[in-house]
Amino acid sequence: MTHWDALSHVCGKTPYLDDLPFPANGLHVVPFDSPVAHGHVRALDIGAALAVPGVVAILTARDIPGENQIGGIIPDEPLLADHTVEFRGQPLALVVAESNAAATKAAGLIQAEIEALPVCTDPREAAARGDIIGRVRTFEMGDVSAGFASAKHVFSGRAEVGGQEHLYLETQATMAFPTMHDGVRIISSTQGPTAVQRTTARVLGLPMHAIEVEVTRLGGGFGGKEDQATPWAVMVALVAHRFKRPAKLVLDRLRDLRMTGKRHPYQADYQIGLDADLNIVAYQATFFQNAGAHADLSPAVLERTLFHCTNAYRVPNVKAVAMSCKTHVPPNTAFRGFGGPQGMFVMESALCHAAESLGIPTWQLQKKNLLRDGDVFAYGQTVSESQAQTCWDRLESDFQLAKRWQQVEQHNQTSNRYKRGLAVMPICFGISFTKTHMNQGSALLHVYTDGSVLVSTGAVEMGQGVVSKLRAVAASALGVPAERVKIEYTNTTRNANTSPSAASATADLNGKALDLACQRLIDRFRVLLVQDHGGKPQDYHFHEGKVTGPNGFEMTFDALALHAHFQRVSLSEQAFYSPHGLHFDLEKEKGHPFAYHVYGAALVETTLDSMLGTYSLDRVSVVHDLGRSLVPIVDQGQLEGGLVQGLGWMTCEEVAYDESGRLRSHALSTYKVPDLYAAPKEIELICLESNHSYAIRGSKAVGEPPLMYGIGGYFALRHAIRAQQKGPLAFHAPMTPERALLALHTPVREPAPQSVTNAP
Amino acid sequence: MPNPCRLMVNGEIWEGLVDPFETLLEVLRERLDLTGAKQGCSQGECGACTVLVDGNPVMACLMLALEAQNTQIETIESLATQELHPLQIAFVEKGAVQCGFCTPGMVLSAKALIDKNPHFQEQDVRAALAGNHCRCTGYTKIIDAVMSLSTGAKHG
Ligand code: FES
Ligand code: FES
Repeated sequence: MTHWDALSHVCGKTPYLDDLPFPANGLHVVPFDSPVAHGHVRALDIGAALAVPGVVAILTARDIPGENQIGGIIPDEPLLADHTVEFRGQPLALVVAESNAAATKAAGLIQAEIEALPVCTDPREAAARGDIIGRVRTFEMGDVSAGFASAKHVFSGRAEVGGQEHLYLETQATMAFPTMHDGVRIISSTQGPTAVQRTTARVLGLPMHAIEVEVTRLGGGFGGKEDQATPWAVMVALVAHRFKRPAKLVLDRLRDLRMTGKRHPYQADYQIGLDADLNIVAYQATFFQNAGAHADLSPAVLERTLFHCTNAYRVPNVKAVAMSCKTHVPPNTAFRGFGGPQGMFVMESALCHAAESLGIPTWQLQKKNLLRDGDVFAYGQTVSESQAQTCWDRLESDFQLAKRWQQVEQHNQTSNRYKRGLAVMPICFGISFTKTHMNQGSALLHVYTDGSVLVSTGAVEMGQGVVSKLRAVAASALGVPAERVKIEYTNTTRNANTSPSAASATADLNGKALDLACQRLIDRFRVLLVQDHGGKPQDYHFHEGKVTGPNGFEMTFDALALHAHFQRVSLSEQAFYSPHGLHFDLEKEKGHPFAYHVYGAALVETTLDSMLGTYSLDRVSVVHDLGRSLVPIVDQGQLEGGLVQGLGWMTCEEVAYDESGRLRSHALSTYKVPDLYAAPKEIELICLESNHSYAIRGSKAVGEPPLMYGIGGYFALRHAIRAQQKGPLAFHAPMTPERALLALHTPVREPAPQSVTNAP
Repeated sequence: MPNPCRLMVNGEIWEGLVDPFETLLEVLRERLDLTGAKQGCSQGECGACTVLVDGNPVMACLMLALEAQNTQIETIESLATQELHPLQIAFVEKGAVQCGFCTPGMVLSAKALIDKNPHFQEQDVRAALAGNHCRCTGYTKIIDAVMSLSTGAKHG
């Protein structure tokens, strides 16, 4: 089975939002955004802009009929800034015009008079001033003080990790149409249609049933369209509702880059303690998350940093503290991994620090401390069905870790200019929304009288292949060929109150609901068959588009559908699914938040030109726990794509704001995402087949976990640098060629990591 | 001031008035309703808008419509009028497609390579597709798909 949409994609026939027909009387909307990162808005001069031919209106905060509020978790973000701006790129006004060209031109003519206030882009500085969003969170287990006291070796230091631009190839895009009874129909390139619906209702002062949101598909999302697709959709809804005309907004790339948030940069302090046998006995960390100007999803992202702060390791005594720090950059947001990767990077830095100080390969320390069944995570969940050791063992045996390590070390002894590096990155990633209530999925199933099948769920297709998986589920559950199943666009009038397509959980939650719906329909058919032809319900089997039963009974699925219809048996089903047993106590910070964990390990090899700082990623070998994959080609694609995105984050992708809060990595020319040359020369995969009942038909979630293999890229490069430079070297990702060169050739300017060896 | 413009697109002539600053991409997408070429950046940096002009891959966001007169323009829509091009089949079968936004441009850049040099090697594929960004696939399966059509390479 291949990706269901692929055929349409290769023919260029797939309609993305900007490809959909838009009526000639439609209005075009371009937002005017703040040129200042922090300040009081004194005046907006819109005279010249209004005079541009084709401009219909310029809307500001005062034109909002409902509440000027789009904050999802915390109500702290206006749709249009009114008196105060808090980041460069914050929307201040909407230019509405007959053409996109007129709207764009007019937006360039608006003058904002803003009294500038001090700008802060540094999370530690914000924390020192007490500028925290939400509350400080602490995960604690055991007794860290006692743990450190018992440790033979203690290492402490700082780690810093940069942000990441989503760079979905399709920019934020949306359109809206006025509908009868004062309603609005929105088409949005969003991962969260319900969030768009809820927020639009709030801003327009309408009930949610007045707002319909449809999502056809996304040209990439990666988390960047989870909450941050919402403002644009609300803007066009506002315009469509007010002028009773269709309205459309497609952000151009430069606006998209400067107006939307990114993966959160983090700074952290860590301390790790090891006993004489190199077991981890204590780990302590403090995380300063750069949240940006508004909460957005930052508190939830922060939580996942804590959940994953010990990665795949057994740590008996843990204390991890984390806070979302308010700064004057665009609100940072969801991005594949959702804070987990940042937590893991700090843990890996601590381990690498220890290993470098002790003069042993980091992988020996990693291997020694891998999770086993019965261990407990700092958040109280007990480890079960751990694949950490299994994945590691396969990596060692099938990919010859020890031998390759030797080869790299030998190479570095004889080669002066080209240094090689190797690192292993084990992962353990929890599957479920950590906000327990969001773990729900729904499916609507129609069989038509010709036997063809239509499925609607809350899942949004953004390239991750969820429609292919849903199709496989329905086809197998109903025993019909996949060609007989169509997965409908996502729409809030068919599936209500849905969770966003995020947290790697989309296929599990919606797929399980679909499985349930199919099962109920089959049960109903069986009752009818028993009535008509006798036997027991379980005597009737659905397969290959047929139903077979006792005494040689056989009927096509299509004929059965028509027959059932004439017997006045419903051919439709709606089902709801929520996994059992998930809970989390926010006061105690303990519970069982995850349905299961996904494990894996990657071995990354690199070659560094120590004269230029440039490097290549030579080979990445991955052992990954896929479960029993529903559509292997889709899952492999997620593995490779996630890995390369993670490597990009750790190597060439550097989000840079200057002190005035201006985005210096403002275009694709100044922000480097991996191209064909930056991607690894070779990727090899071994997929393990474990089982878990919470995974849809045993096929484990695969969207986010592979991204974290990319962290191995940073440590492989660090290993290569270490072949030449033995002095202090800060843990600071990404390791761009520029940073590599500086690390190789200039004395370190950042505070060096500390280490202590306790007296025995 | 709008100028008369005459373009040869996918073997058919289109005539109309265009502004001097209108790009080929805008004219293809908005006037000819050929939306297979995508707008990813409008700055010549992503490759999503790639079309073939006289057989060479060109970023349509960087070429003015008036400049494209007297050339043969091929868009993704021309590729599967009768049956699928082998590249299209290879992209589907090798899983080289995820969100699909980069795909039309990738396929056309690859077609230009194949048409010129059927014996291409992997390094030729990297060079030919280096201007086309893909954020989803990690490129491995795209290289596999194109390489499967090289007459000078082992079929995988
Ligand atoms: S739109 Fe032309 S290169 Fe990006
Ligand atoms: S498939 Fe999404 S950008 Fe290439």
